[in-house]
Order: sequence, then structure tokens, then C-alpha cells
Amino acid sequence: MAKETFTEAMAVAKDPQDSKATKPKTSFIGFIADKGIFVFTGILVLTAVLFVDGFASLQNVTDVFHRAAPIGIVALGMTFVVITGNYLDLSVVAQAAAAGVILIAVSNAYNLIIAFAVAFVVAIIFALANGIAVGYFKANAVIVTLATTYIGLGLLRLLSGGSQVFGPADGPIATFGTSKLGPFPYSAVVLVAVTLILTFVLTRTNFGFLIRSFGVNSSATRLAGTNTGLIVIGAFMVTSMAAMFAGFVLAAFSNTAVSNMATGFDFQALAAIIVGGTSVFGGKGSVPRTLLGVVFVSILSNVLVLVQVSYGFQQVAIGSLIVLAVTVDALGRRVSKK
Amino acid sequence: MTSPVIEARNIVKSFGGVRAVDDVSVSVMPGEIHAVIGENGAGKSTLMRILAGVETPDSGSVRIDGKEIENSAKASIDAGISLVHQELSLIPEMTVAENIMLGAFPTNGGWTKTKEMKKIAADTLKEIGVEVDLDERISRLSVALRQFVEIARAVARKPKVLILDEPTATLTPAETDYLLSMLQRLASQGLAIIYISHRIPEVFKICNKVTILRDGKLVTNDSIGDLTPDKVIDQMVGRELHLDLTQRRPARELGELVLSAKGIKAPKVNGIDLEVSKGQIVGLGGLVGAGRTELLRAIIGADPRSAGRVTITSNGKKRVITGYLSAIKAGVAYVPEERRTDGLALTMTVAENIFLPNRKEISPTGVMPKGKISAFAKVLSEKVNLRPPEVTREAGQYSGGNQQKIVIAKWLGRKPSFIVLDEPTRGVDVGAKAEIHKLVKELADNGAAVLVISSDLPELLELSDLIHVVRDGKIAGTLTGAEATEKSVMSLAAGEKLVGA
Repeated sequence: MAKETFTEAMAVAKDPQDSKATKPKTSFIGFIADKGIFVFTGILVLTAVLFVDGFASLQNVTDVFHRAAPIGIVALGMTFVVITGNYLDLSVVAQAAAAGVILIAVSNAYNLIIAFAVAFVVAIIFALANGIAVGYFKANAVIVTLATTYIGLGLLRLLSGGSQVFGPADGPIATFGTSKLGPFPYSAVVLVAVTLILTFVLTRTNFGFLIRSFGVNSSATRLAGTNTGLIVIGAFMVTSMAAMFAGFVLAAFSNTAVSNMATGFDFQALAAIIVGGTSVFGGKGSVPRTLLGVVFVSILSNVLVLVQVSYGFQQVAIGSLIVLAVTVDALGRRVSKK
Repeated sequence: MTSPVIEARNIVKSFGGVRAVDDVSVSVMPGEIHAVIGENGAGKSTLMRILAGVETPDSGSVRIDGKEIENSAKASIDAGISLVHQELSLIPEMTVAENIMLGAFPTNGGWTKTKEMKKIAADTLKEIGVEVDLDERISRLSVALRQFVEIARAVARKPKVLILDEPTATLTPAETDYLLSMLQRLASQGLAIIYISHRIPEVFKICNKVTILRDGKLVTNDSIGDLTPDKVIDQMVGRELHLDLTQRRPARELGELVLSAKGIKAPKVNGIDLEVSKGQIVGLGGLVGAGRTELLRAIIGADPRSAGRVTITSNGKKRVITGYLSAIKAGVAYVPEERRTDGLALTMTVAENIFLPNRKEISPTGVMPKGKISAFAKVLSEKVNLRPPEVTREAGQYSGGNQQKIVIAKWLGRKPSFIVLDEPTRGVDVGAKAEIHKLVKELADNGAAVLVISSDLPELLELSDLIHVVRDGKIAGTLTGAEATEKSVMSLAAGEKLVGA
């Protein structure tokens, strides 16, 4: 009898992965997809220090960080949306510009506190619009955020008359834009602070955990009893807050703001995220990785400027880099799936 | 004597440091049905993937009609090897005819010759004796019919060798019988068939020869006449096993009502009432596609229902279930059918998977306490006997049985009052299966209400105090645990007409 029932017991569908799942494979592509950014940043910095005149000076390095800060802050925030999987937020272009224009225009008309408050409300509206459409209605994130970019920029042009706004030369915004903490410009300090805060949020809080869990397996996360719509809205909320701060920092740079001031931020932020090794398929990535991606892309641009390569070629280089990075990401995923 | 149509010689394949296939040779004659059997991880699927050219062996060769073939999927197909995959590889949005002819569309200057395509597809279906509308989309077919379309696709290529990897895993007994006689018919026309299965009775029913693999090595290569089921099992496991899975639960007094579902309607569910009491295990039997999973998901709100009212009573509080989140709040634990896609985040650690549904209890402040998470996970993974109980390992690194234990463990932390399990031991090895059965019974003994779907009849009989058999989205009959037999469940499940046959 025992044998008979065992016969039945063997009558189960078997899982083909079982035998292999216990042996994670490492491969060259897998290694590059995972650790490549560390290696390449090292090589790039070393090469730049050794061979590029004018790179290894405190002035140049702080300058690189200073200029990288606005896009960097956007990228750090957008990392949350990317980690949730198959999502991105192109509307950062409109959001950062809106924050910048509001900061200067509203503080000119009223005061800084009201300017912050208005910018904050605008950021929340963006996050809700994107998050609800994508998170609850499962609309395509690319299309939705492209559309909200259009709406945002359109409204901004209508309200600001499309012209540049200027802050008072001795105002707090101008002061912030030119001040330094020791040798470091405030913009770079904000970049590092945002990195630390968002790293903590992503790795050590329940909210950050849900973002990662949703990115790895949205279905299992939903069935564990979570409100997945809220998770996606939360990810867009982080991105919108980051885009707002990026807009502030950018406006403070030159004490001016205009509706097209953040053109290209969407793509460059995405470049930093992907080059940093955060997977566009979701679930894999981190905030420090994005910072490293920002550093890599910024240093690369800086080096290209220093060796006097034309802007057109820089675009070609950054574009190629992204194609390479997403390809490695996809290949690495294929390797790890095997 | 004829010569073998396919011959694999000294195949070796390693993954990492482990030899998945270790110096295995197999040959199959025309008209022969050759069983390849072995426990989970014995190397059967890897060997078949090598024969089909989708996996490259470290050494060894594959010959067709005595001629060595190159190792590539295309070379294998051209040489006449057709593999029917374990995972269905059909394209859901395309029609039956298109799927059967996929990759081999008859064309005329780049234009698909639709009529000819349909004719070949129709002929193939006729050959294997399956009736299905050629223009129907795959997504609208039952799992069983998809399996038959998959076979039609392999047969349409006029192969010399047909390899089937666990073709009956998702089929009901009636559908299985049909498939087996189809294979016998194909073999009688001279086709060589390699048949991978866990189901030993099937092997004895149709196969002429048996190859048994254990830990990647070939242990037996015999004619079926020289073997007995007992012998086969001994050689597969290489050890003595004494398990009695027909240990039924003793009859008991019913506790208070936990689940009350009335008039449930949803796609594939046509008005069902269901009740489960404290300490009771209710089983849902029926054919694949009868609407059991749909019923269960509609009850707990995992999928929307078009009609019906569900209440769950726990700790003396009665709650109306309006959606999935309210069900979870009311104390529902759901162990889904597809643990890899719905149950676990495979690339996250065991601790993280367990943390997910328990996060509010473990870290009420919203900031995760690392030590407390792994301590919490450790306790639960020991409770379900996870082996090894390393909570920092990725869930995906565990075997199917252990993964299922993780899914159960993550719910235990919530002390659920109503537990629903959908095919809880599918793809799980024997040892883990017995442990999961024990766990489920313990949960009920400790006062949980349990609802379980199982297509594995001995399992359904062993676990259930009460069995509802579902057919065509309705309850076809209800049997108490004591009176139910495999036969009584099956006859209710099948009714007069058999799906897919």
C-alpha cells in the first residue's frame, strides 16, 4: 500500500528550475551588468587624472558636481519610478522648470515661503496625475508622462508668458546659488544630502521596501495584501519632490528661470540611472548606483569638454553609452534568468 | 533488427560545479515509446533540451539515423526532432492554426498561404484526433486543449522523434488517457517517442523501454517487461520510502462559521454558495478549467466578482469582503497556484519575502529593523521546516517544495483565520509534500478555516473534511471526507461529457 501511494505521490508536475536554481551562475555579462559601473568609473577617473589636463583640480571637480547637481537630483528621485519596473517619468522636464519659475516668480511677487508652498502643491499635482494614471489605471508610463510634460509646459508658458524671470541680485536665491560649504557648492551638498535621504528611504523603510518588492514581482506584492496603486503613486511622489528640488537648485544657479530650462533632463537622468546599473525591468538598483551613474556621465562630459570635443560628438557619445548600458542590462537579465 | 532512429552517446552537462547529466547514453527505435524517468533534478529535462539542441552538452554526441547532428535547435528540428515543451510555448493572441504552423508558414513570395496553412493544421489535428476550431485564439482554450495544440504543432513538422516533457502534468485522468492512446497510435505509425513523466502507471501503460536517471546518472535502461513499478521507484529514489498519504483526518465537530459565500458569480463561476468553519478543511475537486481557481479568487476578491456576498468571521467579528485588501484585513492567507509568479519575489531574500505581508507588525514605525526582520523570518522558516533555514538566501535559490514553504511561512506571521491554498503541492517533491500536508492539517487543528484546491486526488482525499466537486462553474456534488473516493470525486468532476476528449 505504501508503495502504491508513493507511486501516486510521484505524480506531480515537476519544476524544471529546481535543479538549477540552487546554483546562481556568474558570467562576464552578468558581472558587467552588476558591477560594471564601478569598474568603468574607476577606469574613467584614472584615465582623466593621468591624461587630461585640467581635470584633477579641486576647482574642476567641484565644478563638475555643481553642474551635475540638478540632473543628478532628478535622477536620484526617478530611480524610484524605474525600480518599480517598466516605468519612467519624462515629465521631470516640466516639473523642474515649473519649480524654478514658481520659485523666482512667486517669491518676487509674494515671498519665498509662499513660493515653496506653491511649488510643493504643483509637485504633488504632477505626482498624483502621473501616479493615478499609471498606478491605478495601468496606463503606459511613457505616454502618460509625455502628455503631462506637454500639459505642464503649456500651462507654464501661459502663466509665465513664456519669458524668463529674474530674481533680485542680492536675494536669498542668488545667495544660495553662489554659496559654498567649505570648498563645496551648496548644489553639490544638496545632491549628496538627497542621495543619503533617498538611500535610507529605499533600503530601510517599509515604503522603500514596497517599491523594491513591487519592482521584483508586482503580482506577488499585490497578493501579499498591499495597495499597489499607492506604491506607484508613492514612487512618482518621490520623483516629483526630487524634480522640484532640482528646479530650485537650477534656478538658483543663475538666479533666473524659464519654461525650457530643464530640456533634456528626462533623457540625461535616465542615462545616469541606467548607466548606474539600475535595471529598466525593475526590482534591481539603488540610489547610490544612480549617484555613481551621474558622476560617470558628468565626468565623461567634462573630459570630452576638456579635450575639446564638440557638443554634437558628446551627444553621440552619451547616446551610444545608453544603448550599450540597456543592452548589457537586458543581456545580464537573460543570463541571470537561465 | 532495425537501427535506432535517435542515439545520444555519452552526454555530459554541468551547471556550476554540479553534473546535471553525467555520461548518459540513450537510443530509441522507430515505433518505440521510450520513458525517461527520475526524481526532480535527476537531469531528464536537461537531457531532452540537449537532444532538442536548445542546450549545449559539455561532451557527447547526438545521432539521427546514425549521422551525428550539429548542436543547435535548427539542426535538431531539421533532423526531425520535435520537443513538446513542459511550459506551454504557444502564442496566446494567435489562432490555433497559426500556432500549429508557427515557424513553418507556407508562403508564396512572402505572403502567407492561409488556406494551405489551415489545411495542414486541420490535417494534423485530425491525425491526432483532436477537435478544435482552427480560428479560435489560444488564449480562449483550456489548458488541456492548449497541450493538445502544442502536440499538434510538433506533429505537423512530420518528425522522426517526438519528445514530450511531462505532457500530462496539467491534464485530468480522462484527458491523460486520451493523450496516451494518441501517442500509442502515433508510435504504431513508426514515430519514435521519448516520454518524460513522473507518473509511473502511465509509463507502464504505454512505454516499451525505460531509462531511469538519478542525480544525472543513468541507472537503468531496460525493457518494460523486465521491470515492476516497485522496482522503478526503488531505482529512482535509490532508497526505501514509507509514506502513507491516504492518512485521512478524523471526523470532528464543526466550529463557528468563518467563511460564508453566497451566490458567487464571476467569469467561469455560475452562482456558487460555499461555507467553511473553524478547524475545517474544505477541498475543491474538479477538472482543470472547471472554475475552481476563479471561484476561489472571486471569493477573496483577488479578481472581481459580478455577483455574490462574502463574509468572513474571525475573533468574533464579522466582516463583509468587498475586495482583496479587505479580505487580507479579515485574516485571509492566499497561497496561489503559481508560486513563482504570484507567490514569491524570487530575487529577494527569504526574510524579505516573509517581511512583505508582516511589515506592519514587524516595523510599525515604517523604518525597518534589520535584526527583528531576520529573527521573525527565522522563527517562521523553522516552523515550516525550510531547509536550509537561511533567511538571507534568495527565495529563487530554493527548490519548489521549499519555495512553497516560504509562501506558507510568510502568511503564518499574520495568524490567518482563513487559509486558501491552490494546488499547494504542485511541482513539489515527495518529502516536502508530506510536510506541507502536515502543516495544513496543523493549521486547521489550531483553529484556522482552510479551503484547498487540488487536482491530486489522494491529496484532496487526505486533507479534506468535506469535498465540493466543481464542474462548469457550479458545484456538481458534495462528499464528506469519509465517503469520498477517487472514483466518486472523478465521476462527479467529469459528469457525462469529458472536456478535451
